Amino acid sequence: MIMFNGFSHSVMGASHEKTNLVCQDSSAFKVGDHYAVAVVADGHGSKKHFRSHLGSKFAVEATIEAIDRFYEDREALEANLPTNHKLIIKNIEKQIISNWNMKVEKHLAENPVTDEEKSKFTPEEFEAIPPESYYGSTLVAGITGDNYTFGVQIGDGSFVAIFEDGRAVMPMEYNESAPANVTASVCNSNAASMFSSFYAPNRKLIAMYGSTDGLYTSFGSEHDFLDYHTIITSQLVNLDTFKEIIKNNLTKRSRFGTEDDISLSCIYNENLLKDRIDLVNKRVTENKKAAAERKAAMLEKKV
Amino acid sequence: MSNEHVTEPEVNETQNVSPLDDFDTAETVSTAPVSDDSILDFDDDPLSATSVSKKSLVIFFLIDTSGSMKGKKMGELNTVMEELIPEIRRVGEADTEVKVAVLTFSTEVRWMYSTPIPIEDFEWARLRASGVTSMGAAFKELNHRMSRNSFLNSPSLSFAPVIFLMTDGYPSDDYKEGLRELQTNSWYKFGLKAALGIGQEANDNILAEFTGSKDTVVHAYSGGQLAQMIKIIAVTSSQIGSKSMTLSDDTNHELGEEDVFAAKQKLLGQQIQELVSTQTDGDDVPFDTGW
Repeated sequence: MIMFNGFSHSVMGASHEKTNLVCQDSSAFKVGDHYAVAVVADGHGSKKHFRSHLGSKFAVEATIEAIDRFYEDREALEANLPTNHKLIIKNIEKQIISNWNMKVEKHLAENPVTDEEKSKFTPEEFEAIPPESYYGSTLVAGITGDNYTFGVQIGDGSFVAIFEDGRAVMPMEYNESAPANVTASVCNSNAASMFSSFYAPNRKLIAMYGSTDGLYTSFGSEHDFLDYHTIITSQLVNLDTFKEIIKNNLTKRSRFGTEDDISLSCIYNENLLKDRIDLVNKRVTENKKAAAERKAAMLEKKV
Repeated sequence: MSNEHVTEPEVNETQNVSPLDDFDTAETVSTAPVSDDSILDFDDDPLSATSVSKKSLVIFFLIDTSGSMKGKKMGELNTVMEELIPEIRRVGEADTEVKVAVLTFSTEVRWMYSTPIPIEDFEWARLRASGVTSMGAAFKELNHRMSRNSFLNSPSLSFAPVIFLMTDGYPSDDYKEGLRELQTNSWYKFGLKAALGIGQEANDNILAEFTGSKDTVVHAYSGGQLAQMIKIIAVTSSQIGSKSMTLSDDTNHELGEEDVFAAKQKLLGQQIQELVSTQTDGDDVPFDTGW
């Protein structure tokens, strides 16, 4: 019997404290029967996305509800995934966006835009903003079952997965981003077609993490980012005591890093982790040695 | 978000999955709390093995090391650059991690280090001059390296780069072709660009082609001026480059990122020209006569 577990946490960025913004991030995990979900969302937080802290919360809820719905018939879902994963994942993405839009519509109907919220815009400016945009958010959601893992993402954020070999990898392919790139959002009119996704079949997962971009940008290198997740994985066997350390570390990363909100959500396979803990610890040691070698190579002059 | 419109989302209800009515789940749902940030006890933190990185900025120095730079010019440049490093370090002390990448060009193009180096770890390697001025090749190499897959791969990279070109002569290769390639690079487009012509032979028009504006081109005719100009450009551009400008103007209208970068480049030109106008010539000996 596979035993999944997980944790999730969001910290408010120092830059948001300074500007009196509330935390724009939301995160959650869910352990179901033979499956688990990790979700994070990052509300855009800029002027026209003035309700994005709620938008990120709705995105997290919408995702868990969509996944639950698809897992109502888990056996059929898992029987179809190997051959029809593209269509199934596409349908999950559509369901998430549909759920999110319903939550936004309901909230807006019950809580019309206030005069204070409108006061920051001229009437023309306000009219030009689509109502969904008030709630704009990114979304990163990872799902795992007995021997497969998949993930969906819209906008910034990262996945890190640690499969049976104990190596931390980023299973999603990320494209080159440049300074003026526009972030995709659950509030885009064509949001359902803007998702990126991955599907990793026939591999047992030790742990998977989803994080908002505040975590990634608090690292000087991608190697460090991956090593960080390996270290966390090595400590998950004592999650109860380690949880506070993770929370403190995320707070430190936000405060002394890029000052952005940070969310991290994790799901892991307790049995497989116990079985592979020596391997994971070995990877932690290897990573530390490799980091020292990289630094020495970096400081070598070439002229 | 320029492409947001209100539409009814389409949901394909015909899944390949049939609902199961009597599904029994033993499930746990947890929604994360938001930290109250009250305690920052990091004593027993195994995660501290991976350090926290501040917002980062890369400064690219493109330096002409052709034969005509030999002697006083190169000697002075080496000395100034050694002195400059602590000054740039101070720029980054507050909340920005500054990294430095130095590309030299003569007959060949060469990086001083194989990757941008954090300013705290950076040590200047004294340069020697010889050969011709392959500026076009340098532009191509810069274009190649200014990528998320190469020199700009740091997750903490938060600002468009500063690119500072120094040369004393006319390019010996097809610099226009190299510049055309470079101009397609988004990091170049949004980066802060400045150039320094050293001595009489340097062509300010070519340098203005590189920076996109005459305001960000200055000229040094003596060792004293060279030191002044390098410091003015490097320090001013690092300060402006690492500034988090808000995406709104005085009337609280939101600005596009392109507007912000254009505003930064304009500010750099203004500040450089103001600072240059306050510099004195003194009794400096011009490169092209005395040296």
